[in-house]
Amino acid sequence: MTTEIQTETTEAQTTRGKVYVIDRGRTKLRAGQGLLTGLEVVFRHFRDALTRKLEKPSQQTGVFTVQYPEERLKLPEAFRNFPILLYDDETGQELCTSCFQCQRICPPQVIHMTQARDPATGKPVPAVAEFLIEYDACMSCGLCAEVCPFDAIKMDHEFEYSTDVHGGLTLNKEALNRPISYYEKIAPTFWAEVKDSAMKKLQGNMKRRPDLIGVAPQMVEKIRAQRAAAAAQAPSPTPATPEAAPADKAARLAAARARAAEKAAEATPEPAPDSAPIDKAARLAAIRAANAAKKAEGAADEVAAPATDSAPTDKAARLAAIRAANAAKKAAAEGAPAAGSADFASTPSDAAPAADAAPPASGMPADKAARLAAIRAADAAKKAAAEGAAPASDAAPPASGMPADKAARLAAIRAANAAKKAAAQRDGSEE
Amino acid sequence: MTDILRSWIGGALPDWLIVLIAYLLVTTIVLFYAVGNFIMMVWAERRVVARMQDRLGPNRVGPAGLLQPIADAVKMFTKEDIVPRNADRWVHLLAPIVALAPVAMMLAVIPWGRGWEPVDLNVALLYMVAVSAVSGVGLMMAGWGSNNKFALLGAMRAVAQLVSYEIPAVTALLTVVILAGGMSLLELPYMQAGVPIMGATILCGDPAGCSPLLYSTITSFPGSPNEPVQALDLGLGWWVFTPVGFLGFLVFFIAALAEGERTPFDIPEADSEIVAGYMTEYSGMKFATFYIAQYILNFALSALAATAFLGGWQGPGVAALANMGGPWVHVAAALSAFYLLAKIWILFFVMIWLRGAFPRLRVDQLMDFAWKLLLPLALVNIVSASLMVGLTQWTSAQWGGLISLDGFAPWQRQLIAVLVTAIINIAAAYWILAINQRPKQVEWDEEELIAAS
Repeated sequence: MTTEIQTETTEAQTTRGKVYVIDRGRTKLRAGQGLLTGLEVVFRHFRDALTRKLEKPSQQTGVFTVQYPEERLKLPEAFRNFPILLYDDETGQELCTSCFQCQRICPPQVIHMTQARDPATGKPVPAVAEFLIEYDACMSCGLCAEVCPFDAIKMDHEFEYSTDVHGGLTLNKEALNRPISYYEKIAPTFWAEVKDSAMKKLQGNMKRRPDLIGVAPQMVEKIRAQRAAAAAQAPSPTPATPEAAPADKAARLAAARARAAEKAAEATPEPAPDSAPIDKAARLAAIRAANAAKKAEGAADEVAAPATDSAPTDKAARLAAIRAANAAKKAAAEGAPAAGSADFASTPSDAAPAADAAPPASGMPADKAARLAAIRAADAAKKAAAEGAAPASDAAPPASGMPADKAARLAAIRAANAAKKAAAQRDGSEE
Repeated sequence: MTDILRSWIGGALPDWLIVLIAYLLVTTIVLFYAVGNFIMMVWAERRVVARMQDRLGPNRVGPAGLLQPIADAVKMFTKEDIVPRNADRWVHLLAPIVALAPVAMMLAVIPWGRGWEPVDLNVALLYMVAVSAVSGVGLMMAGWGSNNKFALLGAMRAVAQLVSYEIPAVTALLTVVILAGGMSLLELPYMQAGVPIMGATILCGDPAGCSPLLYSTITSFPGSPNEPVQALDLGLGWWVFTPVGFLGFLVFFIAALAEGERTPFDIPEADSEIVAGYMTEYSGMKFATFYIAQYILNFALSALAATAFLGGWQGPGVAALANMGGPWVHVAAALSAFYLLAKIWILFFVMIWLRGAFPRLRVDQLMDFAWKLLLPLALVNIVSASLMVGLTQWTSAQWGGLISLDGFAPWQRQLIAVLVTAIINIAAAYWILAINQRPKQVEWDEEELIAAS
């Protein structure tokens, strides 16, 4: 009575993709044959549902239920829920440079970020200080991931975020950070497409990130420990050690640069007698840089070098050399104006120690800061003098042991304070 | 039960108290049996229909979701009992009771196993039919007492359906009455001993050489002049294997579906279309009572169908164990009870199967089906049943000399009867199906029409 029905449909590949051809059986059924065919179909479903699961779409029967918390379907790579931030597994460096592209494109405007700044100079660096995404208002459009030029923001597969704490859905950088290996796991082909360019860009950005800025918060301790370990390993005599070799090389490079800078400074024509100290200062800086480089080289040879010193020394040396060279070039180029400003403070001569003693993070040329401070101090002093206050003489630059720019700034502040005080006293006496 | 109690505590208590306690015990056991089955049926229905729809069904509460009915019961108990403001309070309250009570009463006369019958009533079939009709009053009360026009309409539909389908159901049961020569349900399983189709007509030629494991003493027809005979008994002489029984079973089972409001006849409470019909204004335990009533009605009707057509507790091995005597009788009783339960559950599975496969009928289709198909078939079946009895039991004198089959052996007479009734039933079925066919659509010749105009 019942008609023959194939249990499996046939698959056919056409130009428009896969087509499933389902045999619907006989269409002409009489006198209850349709009822029996229906019963047969239902029984087949019942029997198969007891024994197997529905696995491929060409299968007509079998349990299709996925017992969700215990069983999960494999999500497609392109599945997207909420954005996450990526950081490199080894260096801990975040891919994000806080370019604000995602914040600009975000339709519900749930992305907020602050750019990282060098603590010493206050200049922005290509890293993000804090990153907030309000997941509760995120519409999962994925535009942020699409627009990101550094492949730093990607769409996650995680979707179980239900909570009774509304504020808990605003995630900060630490909560958003995922290692690249995680993203590689959930979307291997997507990551493979962008991997090379993303890592290249990251390498470039890492060079402009001082110290631990740009390192994922959860990786900071680990990276610090790693660097310490690297420093301890560096003294090993074999240059094959990857940490020791660059240090050595860097130090030599720094020395070479310092020498080159020295030569350049010497080679510049000297148009005015005022330029002599500048030249001198530049030479001094170069010598100091060379010394520092030598010291770094020496440190590399020492067996029991202090753990934390080696890496910074190398970096500092390189930095000092570069700065010294810059200062020398600038001094040579600026010539007269620089000499003119030397009336207020012994700027050029102080520039070299400033450059040398400046913390490695310093982005601003030290001499400029010192000059600024001196100008401010002078102004304050003049103002104080004009107002008839006695303690204007405090504005004189003090102790030379301190880094010049700091001292100059201090002096300026003091002068300003004194001027204010004087003004206040005068006001008081008038009343 | 009464006898067991008498033998245990006969001296300590007056006899009337023992009888009372015995019947109370039996009632409790039967009701617990039914309710236990109800709970399992709710679970099984949900699980089975889920598999038919490629799902899993309830699987969270307890192992394989077995405690789901308990969870549902807890939910039902904790629900608010709402009575509409202008409802007839007493009718509203009594309706579920009136719906459930007759269903529970039906359980009293069913032989649950060999020798396990609560009450031996000689008009048990009549009692079943009469009592089950009362539950229609409960439905009407529910619709009326709710003071809700939709509930009332639903009740009227339900009662119309019950009344319509009672006629084919009772007519189908009439064939059983004719075959059995009486209305006692207790006798029915005994009469369905033997082998398929031939029944208990293959007699033992040599009374000394017949093993009691294969042959048992059969009284073929109450009040028949035939002497009890030793016949081959495999416990499979079910009437459903004969043409008369098969047609009767089909008609009765379909009518039972309608009476129990099962898909495809669940029009009164069509949950996807109307708001549960007469149960619209019921909530909590009152609603649950209707639910219980419906499932126990299905259970009782399955038991009745199994007893009347599928041999009841009859099955392979029961007679053999009973013939061994002694404690084996109790084993036979337990086995027979299992057989009946298995048959009930197979019928219940078929109900779920139909529910999984078929859509609901329209009201006009429902009525058509009852009056145009089931009733004629049942009426023809009565003729067949009468012929069956005549051909197998009647003597030449009873036929008035018209037909003389006295010279034939019982199995020959059975074979003749089966063939004759098969021809009648098949021919009738074809004929009735044919006249019920949709009239052929006239194909208009357009050109001719244009030419004519």
